[in-house]
Amino acid sequence: MSFTASFQNKEETKDFKEGLTIQDVLDDLELSSETVVAKQNGDIVVEDTEIQDGDEIKLIQIIYGG
Amino acid sequence: MTVCTKCGNPKVVITRKQSGQSLCSDCFIKSIEKKVQKTIRREKLITKGDKVMVALSGGKDSVVTLDILNSYRERHVIDLCAVTIDEGIKGYRDEGVRIAVDHAKRLGIEHEVVSFKDCFNIDLDEIMKTDNHRGSCTYCGVFRRWIINRQARKFGATKIATGHNLDDESEAILMNYLEGNINNLSSLGAITTSKSPKFTPKIKPLREIPEKEVGLYALCKGLEIHLAGCPYAQESFRMEVANILKDLSKNHPTIMYSTLKGYDKIKPLVKENYALEYHDGDCEICGEPSSNKLCRACTFLKELGKEVNI
Repeated sequence: MSFTASFQNKEETKDFKEGLTIQDVLDDLELSSETVVAKQNGDIVVEDTEIQDGDEIKLIQIIYGG
Repeated sequence: MTVCTKCGNPKVVITRKQSGQSLCSDCFIKSIEKKVQKTIRREKLITKGDKVMVALSGGKDSVVTLDILNSYRERHVIDLCAVTIDEGIKGYRDEGVRIAVDHAKRLGIEHEVVSFKDCFNIDLDEIMKTDNHRGSCTYCGVFRRWIINRQARKFGATKIATGHNLDDESEAILMNYLEGNINNLSSLGAITTSKSPKFTPKIKPLREIPEKEVGLYALCKGLEIHLAGCPYAQESFRMEVANILKDLSKNHPTIMYSTLKGYDKIKPLVKENYALEYHDGDCEICGEPSSNKLCRACTFLKELGKEVNI
């Protein structure tokens, strides 16, 4: 039971737990939902979306400082 | 399960904290376009027959500005052209330039890439290797404005559109206020004009759109954008102000918008009393409008032992 999370060309396989959301993954990676957009299996999703077993989560940073 | 407030589609791409509204991709795209159109209409940013030059870096803000203004071009309301500035930042700028070129080609609009090297005989990487430089952002801002103003005249543009979003605008308002730069404060706003005929009016169609929504719009529309941070970006007062506003927004999601709207209300008063003085003079070297003998670009170039290519 796992899912993959990729951010800036780095892909990680993570353990799947029931009720896990995109926000939990963002928190885990210390990313802000204000600067990142998440895709779940290719579809853009909001932060409270629940992750399913086998999902491919892609986190796209759209705001850079400076 | 959250569904789109407008159409019931379960594929929601955003839940707006400020209104509680949830939107699917199509309804979100429509809402942004409608909001930008409303700003354009209310602030009279464009008039029929305008030739608008977009300052196109290839980043999300300028690509979205181009995309939305292109709908006016398709309806034959305006003509559109674009300029991309190559500052000469190795490993960063090339990708943005490529994306900008591709968008201009795709839309079939007049487009030019203008480099610091061609105009000033020195690029930003070279400047940053010199002793006692003034910091990358200082040169970048001054040199870019110099190129944009000149290129607008070359294109015969009647307006210059930049991609400033709600975050940029509210940061600028708060920053100038906190620093007591009331003169600078008077020159912010949806449209900036000058008495000098050498300056083309600048418009900011995205100034009421939060930065994240600009990026989300680009992703929803499948627009290719340059996703990278400038390697010269550094800790600055602006960044500190940006962080304060972003932190405040977490519990007060409308704070940026109210900062902007409050500013818009006091702007006429600020402008009346603190407008920047107009100097009817030109730079002795390059001929651009300047209140001193030399404009800022030529002053910096002189310090660097360079001169502008006219």
